[in-house]
Amino acid sequence: MATLSDILQAEDITSLQHLQLFARTVVEGFTTGHHASPHKGFSVEFRQHRPYVQGDEIRRLDWKVFGRSDRFYIREYDEETNLRATLVLDASGSMNYRGQKGVHKFDYARKLAASLAYLLMSQQDAVGLVTFDSKLRENIPCRTKITHLHLLLETMIKTEPGKDTSLAPVIESLAQRLTRRGLVILISDFFDDPAAILKACGILRKKGHEIIALQLWDRDELEFSFGNWARFENLENDDDFLLLDPATIRQRYLEAQKHFSEQLKEGFRKHQIDYLSLPTDESHSMALRNYLALRMR
Amino acid sequence: MTFLNIALLAGAAAFLIPLLIHLLNKRKVVTVRWGAMHLLHEVIRQRKRKMKIEQLLLLITRISIPIVLALCLARPALTALRSFGLGSSSLIVMLDDSFSMRAPAEKSATPGASVADTARSDLQQITESLPGGSAAQVVLSGGTPRKLLDQPTTALDLVPKKLADVSSMSGPLSANDMFQAATSALKDAPNAAREIVVVSDFQEADWKAIADGAALPALENLSKQEPKPQITFYRVGSDLAENLSIASADLSALVAAETQPIGVRVRIKNHGKRPWQDIPVHLEADGARLRTARVSLAPEGEAVLSFTHAFDKVGDHSLSVRLEGDSFSDDNAFHSVVQVRNQLNVLLIDGKPGALPLEGATDFLELALTPHTSAANSLKDLIHTKKVEPRKLRSDDFKQTEVIILANVARLQGRAFSDLDKFVKDGGGLLIFAGPECDIDWYNRELYKKGEGLLPAAIKGQARAEIADSPARILTQRLTHPSVLYFNDARGGRLQDAEFRFWLEFAPPSNENTQRILNLDRNVPLLIEKKHGQGRVIACATTANAEWTNLPLQPFFVPLMQRLTTYLATEGSAPAWQLVGSSLHIPLEKAELGAEFTLRDPTGQSQTLKSQQEGGKVFVQSPPITQPGIFQLQRIGADKPTLLAFNTDNTESDLKPLPTEDIKKIADRHGIAYADSLQSYQSLDRSRRFGSELWQPLLIALIALLFFEVLLQQRIAKG
Repeated sequence: MATLSDILQAEDITSLQHLQLFARTVVEGFTTGHHASPHKGFSVEFRQHRPYVQGDEIRRLDWKVFGRSDRFYIREYDEETNLRATLVLDASGSMNYRGQKGVHKFDYARKLAASLAYLLMSQQDAVGLVTFDSKLRENIPCRTKITHLHLLLETMIKTEPGKDTSLAPVIESLAQRLTRRGLVILISDFFDDPAAILKACGILRKKGHEIIALQLWDRDELEFSFGNWARFENLENDDDFLLLDPATIRQRYLEAQKHFSEQLKEGFRKHQIDYLSLPTDESHSMALRNYLALRMR
Repeated sequence: MTFLNIALLAGAAAFLIPLLIHLLNKRKVVTVRWGAMHLLHEVIRQRKRKMKIEQLLLLITRISIPIVLALCLARPALTALRSFGLGSSSLIVMLDDSFSMRAPAEKSATPGASVADTARSDLQQITESLPGGSAAQVVLSGGTPRKLLDQPTTALDLVPKKLADVSSMSGPLSANDMFQAATSALKDAPNAAREIVVVSDFQEADWKAIADGAALPALENLSKQEPKPQITFYRVGSDLAENLSIASADLSALVAAETQPIGVRVRIKNHGKRPWQDIPVHLEADGARLRTARVSLAPEGEAVLSFTHAFDKVGDHSLSVRLEGDSFSDDNAFHSVVQVRNQLNVLLIDGKPGALPLEGATDFLELALTPHTSAANSLKDLIHTKKVEPRKLRSDDFKQTEVIILANVARLQGRAFSDLDKFVKDGGGLLIFAGPECDIDWYNRELYKKGEGLLPAAIKGQARAEIADSPARILTQRLTHPSVLYFNDARGGRLQDAEFRFWLEFAPPSNENTQRILNLDRNVPLLIEKKHGQGRVIACATTANAEWTNLPLQPFFVPLMQRLTTYLATEGSAPAWQLVGSSLHIPLEKAELGAEFTLRDPTGQSQTLKSQQEGGKVFVQSPPITQPGIFQLQRIGADKPTLLAFNTDNTESDLKPLPTEDIKKIADRHGIAYADSLQSYQSLDRSRRFGSELWQPLLIALIALLFFEVLLQQRIAKG
């Protein structure tokens, strides 16, 4: 059975234990607490008894214990909301890029997804996992039980990058499948048609889902710092390659990359989707910390 | 096209570096498995064809940069353009044609070639390498500088042809005169770029004073010319250091009588560092060797030899002294012409005859001019005197007389005065001695006549040395007048021994026909000469007897009077000898206009000369004489030839060159370039001819390529 340590380093696990994920918008849940829930009185899990003190609600007294012991005790429950978070992990060919610094983009994405899964489940939230390339490959529904985490991690480990990317149909398909509102975390390089991606995200948003878009960039993709002549072979299509002197097109490439990022960023902003660009040479836990700081505003 | 630094052209191979980098880069292609292909496709979608062209252009630019840089460093010179006149210039060659240039040349490819031959050969190559449209002029700078061509010529092949006739027998080079001639020659230079090349052996005798710092005003003037000419010293040297020469020669008399012994005194100098033993020295008369003496010479030493000879026939005779022994023989001989006459008639006009011996004004003169007659010995005097008082003077007395001497004459009256004037104008000689009887007013008014008369200078008055003062003496100085040259040697007599108590003070002469012969130490002339018509007048400021001076009591009085008299008697005829380089110039009677003469040189070759008129006078004149020896001038149809002697200038005999450091010192001081071989000159010449070199446009092209490369790269990077 896969364990968390198969994916995460010990220090990453420790770091994650200190993270707090706060939802910005109201999602469905059963418990009160930090997540404001519309379903009042729907208990989740009993935690302990404690002696009654003046000011406690009378309806929370455990009359069975009073009958047996002739003392007033109050029943206490876990009070967090039960968040339904779906991690959507891009396993397309472009995620198979291994940069000059040796970082494998899909590996980084997998760690990031594992971190989020652990974080969410440690908060008693329900976490699901979707992997895809040109089509949806795995779809694990949301669960809260801790054993579910092992299933998620096992799936992540088994998943290897495939070929072509086709993100928009996958998101549209998700919109059909996710019947209850929740949080959808997209982990991808979004190397697809931005208009189609944004259109699909719009559909998901209309169904009441909150979306977090985490776009992964290798440092090479951000700076294009290749020296010699290079043959660029498409990770998603073996027949597609380009032979060129990188120095001569670097400037123009950077402009194109910036334009692509800006296009996505602007589109996400319009659909009130939180967006974060994550270079893979940065610690993913640090990147998450920055993101949570953004969410707490 | 030629390259001045052709070795650096190999640097052009550096073009392979960018090409190899380009090819290796293409060969060592890194394969990148890439995700963001949609971004790359977007970048190159519109630019694929343009990028290929730009890449090719960048490669060509990068290859061109090392090639152009190597070409620039190799300094290509477009010789093809030079023939079309690019970089054309006017070359003025100041060619030293002095006698020393005849010495054997050092480093010569041709055995036996002289320095002058080397100079000619080098000049031929220099003129041949001039760019098309260039003009050249040669100024022969030995002695009096003169142009080889009337005008600078663009027909450059004419220069060597003309130079072939240059004999290099001129006198010493005067640097100042040479640069003055260069300035003058520059005025005719047709091109804006002007070059002056001084081709010389840089003999120490000619250049030492300048190396020691003597001013060269003509060179400074030349340097101020606009545009400033490029001046180069081009040294052609000789490796001959040893030389013997006849440094000077003196004849005891200018004219001799038949059988009268005439003495010749020669000074032989060793200019080298080796001693010479028993050098034979021959005396030759009329081409026949008479006797031989032997002389030994220490290093840089000299010896004096005297010969005497008596000619037994009246007429012109040649007298030569010739030494043997050294390899540079052109200065080993001295030639002279001796006039032998029956007698020379002198009319003594005594202004105050004395009752007692030696009391009269001309008594001492009579003794001095006819010493053998006065002594009643058997030897014959050349000069025959006739004494007459002024009032008894008749027209017949002037006939058959070569020289008239006036001594202490108060004045001449009427016809006597006009006859005297005519006598001098027709070529007679007049010697005037002062005296207490002289009417100074008459002398100034009639005899001086504001410079138009017979007297060489106006008389300011009578001067005297006070009893307390020391008497006036003859000023010790280098004597240059032919009549007194003999007294430069102390063995001819000590002129300073004569004392003068009274004298007539002549006003400073201003006429160009007037020349001082001897001066008193009171800054006044003692003897002063004037050319008047075809004759000459010499005025003496003191008496011919012992009344004002003890001059007549001095031993040198006899040779002095003899020489003055023979000088005046022979001045109308050719001189005893002249320097090579000067022209023959003999006055003739007007009736002889158009007469033809044959001039025969020492080698037996003849040329015909025709008498011509110049300024109302008739002359026979020759081109400059280019070789030493005895020449014969004979009027066609006449019986006897006139002999003429030509000698080289003995100051040229010291062949020692100025040290190279000193030549460079002079050159540096005046901003002049220096070359001592044809190769170094040509290198210098090439380095100066930027006009026909291409490094400047290539450098501009290189800078342009560098800028283009940077701009192209930026453009490609920006897309």
